[in-house]
Amino acid sequence: MDTSGMSQILEEFKASLETVEDSRSLQDLKVQYLGKKGKVTGLMKEMKNLSKEERPEYGQKVNELRESIDSMINEKSEALEAAALEERLANETLDVTLPGRKFNIGSQHPISRIIEDIEDFFLGLGYEIQEGYEVETDYYNFEALNLPKSHPARDMQDSFYISEEILLRTHTSPVQARVLEEREGKEAVKIICPGKVYRRDSDDATHSHQFTQIEGLVIDKNIHMSDLKGTLELFAKEIFGSEREIRLRPSFFPFTEPSVEVDISCFKCKGKGCNVCKNSGWIEILGAGMVHPNVLEMAGYDSREYSGFAFGMGPDRVAMLKYGIEDIRHLYTNDLRFINQFKQTEDGGERNESL
Amino acid sequence: MRVSKEWLNDFIEIKTDINELSEKITRGGIEVDDIIDYTADIKKLVVGYVEEVSQHPNADKLNICRVNTGEEVKQIVCGAENVRADTYVIVCQVGGRLPGGIKIKKAKLRGEVSEGMICSLDEIGIPGEYVPKEYQDGIFIFQDEQEAGADALPAVYLDDQVMEFDLTPNRKDALSMIGAAYETKALFGGAVKRPDVGFVEVDDPVDVTVVNADSEAVPYYSLRVVKDVKIGPAPTWMQIRLIKAGIRPINNVVDISNYVLLEYGQPLHMFDYDQIGSSEIVTRFAEEGEKMTTLDDKERSLKSSDVVITNGKEPIALAGVMGGDFSEVTDETKNVVIESAAFNPVSIRKTSGRLNLRSEASSRFEKGVSHEFVLPALERAAYLLEKYAGGKVSSGYNADGELDTSGSVIKTSRDFINNRLGMTLETAEIEETLSKLGLETTVNEDELEINIPSRRDDLQIAEDITEEVARIYGYDALPTSLPRFENITPGKLTDEQSKLRIIRHQLEALGLSQSINYALTSKEKAAQFTDRTEGLKLLMPMSEDRAVLRNSLIPHLVDNVVYNNSRQQKDVQLFEVGRIFISKGQDTQPDEVEKLGGIITGQMNRTDWLGSHVPADFYAAKGILDSVFEKLGILDNINYIPVEGYPEMHPGRTAEIALGESRVGFVGELHPKYEKDHDLNQTVVFEVNLDELLDVKLGSIEYEVLPKYPSISRDIALVAGRDVPVSTLVDIIEGAAKKYLVDVYVFDVYDGEHIEDDKKSVAIRLTYLNKEETLTDEAVEDIHQPVLEALKVEGFVLRG
Repeated sequence: MDTSGMSQILEEFKASLETVEDSRSLQDLKVQYLGKKGKVTGLMKEMKNLSKEERPEYGQKVNELRESIDSMINEKSEALEAAALEERLANETLDVTLPGRKFNIGSQHPISRIIEDIEDFFLGLGYEIQEGYEVETDYYNFEALNLPKSHPARDMQDSFYISEEILLRTHTSPVQARVLEEREGKEAVKIICPGKVYRRDSDDATHSHQFTQIEGLVIDKNIHMSDLKGTLELFAKEIFGSEREIRLRPSFFPFTEPSVEVDISCFKCKGKGCNVCKNSGWIEILGAGMVHPNVLEMAGYDSREYSGFAFGMGPDRVAMLKYGIEDIRHLYTNDLRFINQFKQTEDGGERNESL
Repeated sequence: MRVSKEWLNDFIEIKTDINELSEKITRGGIEVDDIIDYTADIKKLVVGYVEEVSQHPNADKLNICRVNTGEEVKQIVCGAENVRADTYVIVCQVGGRLPGGIKIKKAKLRGEVSEGMICSLDEIGIPGEYVPKEYQDGIFIFQDEQEAGADALPAVYLDDQVMEFDLTPNRKDALSMIGAAYETKALFGGAVKRPDVGFVEVDDPVDVTVVNADSEAVPYYSLRVVKDVKIGPAPTWMQIRLIKAGIRPINNVVDISNYVLLEYGQPLHMFDYDQIGSSEIVTRFAEEGEKMTTLDDKERSLKSSDVVITNGKEPIALAGVMGGDFSEVTDETKNVVIESAAFNPVSIRKTSGRLNLRSEASSRFEKGVSHEFVLPALERAAYLLEKYAGGKVSSGYNADGELDTSGSVIKTSRDFINNRLGMTLETAEIEETLSKLGLETTVNEDELEINIPSRRDDLQIAEDITEEVARIYGYDALPTSLPRFENITPGKLTDEQSKLRIIRHQLEALGLSQSINYALTSKEKAAQFTDRTEGLKLLMPMSEDRAVLRNSLIPHLVDNVVYNNSRQQKDVQLFEVGRIFISKGQDTQPDEVEKLGGIITGQMNRTDWLGSHVPADFYAAKGILDSVFEKLGILDNINYIPVEGYPEMHPGRTAEIALGESRVGFVGELHPKYEKDHDLNQTVVFEVNLDELLDVKLGSIEYEVLPKYPSISRDIALVAGRDVPVSTLVDIIEGAAKKYLVDVYVFDVYDGEHIEDDKKSVAIRLTYLNKEETLTDEAVEDIHQPVLEALKVEGFVLRG
């Protein structure tokens, strides 16, 4: 039996395969050898010239040849695909250092950040958030807070009046008076009241005719001044850092008795003395006190049965101290170069301590 | 109130340095705002004896002085006109220093050696406004003999520090040296010594009578008469103490009056006895429109709430505020009447406020004077006039009205104090603390009765006692605790509050920064972007720009863009959440409406190297708002309705926003003319009523099972008039489709070639879905054909 034709075909195929460079010529080669009219298929036609005994062996050899060519073609095909992918990838390489498509994010106003932080702290202690009117009556802004018309302390607040009885609120305390009145002397109260307030001041680096305040009020049957101190100490540690301490200094507000100013140990110099705390180690941050019995009585509470504390602070001042903002007017100019500095999230860590 | 340590030491022995003194006083509740240290920046200041003064050979205005400075005699050139021989002066020696960083060196002045400097009061740190007239244009000259070479600071009573008290309104008791002394005693212990009053009355009874016509106006009025006074300068120590307290010395009589005011906090007035015009004093409320001329030569028109001191016929003083012109003490005065009184505090406050005449006296009268010091002050002034003005005190005093010097009693208990403070003080501790303040306590078991002297009539209720105990005991000793509430309640934001936070954070995530603007604006701006023409007006605005409450957030947001644009920032996107105020008249509270305002200009999400950005145009603003409405779950109920009529807005690029039937805001491009006037590029604004948006309650999300069957979509293209809003087409389609229509999506709008001039082509994709079974083409056609028909009926031409 002559199989030299097969060997010759195989050799020819191998030579041709060497020259193949793309999948199209590979496909042509495949047709040339394995197609209906292909060279290998042609070998089968020789079968009829063989004896009956020789045919199975011949057939088997042809099949072996077909399979070997087929597998070489597949191999080549895979190699070509791999090369093509390689080339594509090489062409598709990006400069990953170019800027990404911009998705601008805006910035929260620093006052808003501070207010949210403070709100969240007191929400955690079970307080509600109450808001009131920015245009108030003289009664709620002053009289219901133990500041009758003849009270000398009214000198402390030069106010924007709209008429004899209507004015822009000078503090958030009228919210206290209204909430107390709504509860009709019966229920306990745990609220904080953030909002805008107005004083008849000329605007300069440290004064603004409009600013914000947060007032807190707690009324219940068994509230002591030590609870005020404890609450504010927790507040100072939570908002200004766990090492902060507070100290109380006697003061005067018509709507509280006793009244105190609350200082926190300086968060910048940790109490050593610096420009933020004017070298005292302490920063005045809050006014507070036990709710004056007149305020309770006017709202219908029995001041023997109920007692409570109130405190107030200025988010503008807190923001200025915390970030070192040198001019309060920046807070109301809305310069993007200013506001956009307050985008990133903040946490309890030191700046860049883990970078 | 300025408290000199050297002066305070007359009332109570001070054993601590100024820093500890002021620190403890501050912690005790009187804030020491500042310490004025007269020894700071001063070196080598001695008393000099001027032996000889001669004319400088080369300068008309200079003198050459031979000055004995103790160990040697120096030549000092001096330019002061009042320098003269045989006087004691203040000399800053060579090598010395003076306030303001001045160093004294040996010098040659026009050829003459000068070894040191003879000082004026200005030069040693006394503000010019307090320097007495006689020393104003020259050097200070001691009134009497001194020791040459001695340290000059103590000799001139300036080896001293002065505490500036920043007093809260309730602490009028510390508006005097004696009050400061009682406070010092409470904090440091010791005893308070009262000033001397040991004068001798002459045998000449007081001959001026007193009648208070209205005890409401003047509850108490007392006077003494001192005759034969010699007007001259007050002693140096008194002058310097006044200067340190911030009062300029005038002459001995006036100075004594001010000195006693500072000692007791009791303002006095000195009348010229011979100029009163009668021998009676009658006090009363003024008559409405009554005229008087005050000692500043101004004619005042009085009101019936003013209190006047009269001679029975006409006013001789405006009580507690200012004296009258003809009765004031002058250089010619021989005999004086001293007034010490208690006036109606509210009247004094009104009068001094109305006439803008606030003084040391009025500020004390308006807080109410301590009754226990009214007479001691009168006696003290008589004593000082006798001693330092050579006066003869007539015997006795005349007075009308009643003084309440007995004080009052406050009842409280140990339990009450401990409960309010959260402390566990023993009765004895409370009693001891109060006694430091000079408050005597009567103890009955745990009940306490506390006697309050009139100087502390600010103490009125048990809570005041609680405060006194706490502040003297010290707040550092107050324990810390957290409230034990009767009922524990959760702290949470209301629905509105939490939705507002979400809106804010979403707008920030979309690239808008939060602004906060003033609520006060100009009259002009209050009438922009609103149909209201007037805003609530302030009675006394500080400026025209801040005179009216805003009716819209937009005008100030426009200002913000203008501000940023002029600082090289052309891409500005801002929002604000704040109130606007709808006036219901000046005499009632307005409706306060919470608004969300926004402004966008320039480009958003710029990536220039890729050539991509989102233009800050109408559709960007609308998309931002839609995202908010989607988050609030109300997008399906929102409609945009074209609107004209806002003069500040582009008439063809503005829409009102409707939530259901209610108009809740507007969005649109600024009018090109408005933009030009404000030097703005294309700018889009929006404002919506947050109260109405947040009022919508939607409850929880309704989950829908995922569809099991595929949806089928059909695209249609139709030609419509250019003016027809696309929403009209969508409405027709939604109205005509009987069922299965789940989405209508406009994917192309074209007007140009192949389309008539007044038309546009709109391409819309309709998506159908049957949730129950697979939609067949036939079933879709059954629904879709009526939709096409409906569009045709309305006159729209479907394109191939």
